[in-house]
Amino acid sequence: MLKTFIRFFTIADYEDEELWLRYKHTEGWKLVSMTPPCFYHFESCEPEDVIYRMDFKNNTQTPEYMQMISDFGWEYVNESLGWLYFRKPSSEAESEEDGELFSDDESRVDLVIQVAKKRLWPLVIVFLCCVMSGLLNTMNGLYSGFYEKFFTIFFGTMFVIYVFLIVYCGFKLRNIKSRYTNK
Amino acid sequence: MDDKIKRIYVPMTESGFYILFCLQKPQHGYGISQQVKKMTGGQLTISAGTMYGTLSKMEKDGLIAFCYEEDKRKLYQLTDLGREILELEIRRIERLYRNSKGEDCNA
Repeated sequence: MLKTFIRFFTIADYEDEELWLRYKHTEGWKLVSMTPPCFYHFESCEPEDVIYRMDFKNNTQTPEYMQMISDFGWEYVNESLGWLYFRKPSSEAESEEDGELFSDDESRVDLVIQVAKKRLWPLVIVFLCCVMSGLLNTMNGLYSGFYEKFFTIFFGTMFVIYVFLIVYCGFKLRNIKSRYTNK
Repeated sequence: MDDKIKRIYVPMTESGFYILFCLQKPQHGYGISQQVKKMTGGQLTISAGTMYGTLSKMEKDGLIAFCYEEDKRKLYQLTDLGREILELEIRRIERLYRNSKGEDCNA
């Protein structure tokens, strides 16, 4: 049986997403694929404790990378927006590190830096170039009548969403990073 | 030797040291992790993502070089620069060890 669940995770929520997918598997739903931004397609399965891990490769993964990950016992599930999803039954993980993709803080911090560079900064640029300039144009009376109302509401909503996302993700990524640097 | 490379890698992380140490002979990522597990009695595990990231970085910095491919797995080996860095690190650890035992390292 197939079922789609809706759940929204930002680029800074990957650790929560991993836990949620693991929890779903213990409920008897294994991840098949996902459709951005928030649709997770599951297939019913035997409930099992399976560890889910995500790596951000931004479509730069090589066949060598995929081979190495699978050598370490990870099953490749799916790719979405540059994120790769892997899973491994917890019974097969020989140690805590064996249940993780990254075993030292240096590589955990590297992941955060990559996400900030390739996902957070582009978000800020879109915000400044499109949302802010659109909002300012509207406020300066570029449009009139129905269009003025429409664009005010449109850009106003986008403004709120973008400000929230940028502030939320910025703080959360910084938190993850400091968790792994201040040990 | 390149001072910048030396600053980055000496001292190095425990994972980094074992990876360089194992690459005195051609080896691929998974092979290294198995060897490290054996050498440390299972005390040190290097995960897949960390292994891949470290190998990529070391290759880019010229410490190791691609040797040959075996079933889609790339095997690497130390370069002369890598050997030099490993030698420096071993000397540093030996000094650390002797001092920790209270021996005079300049004797």
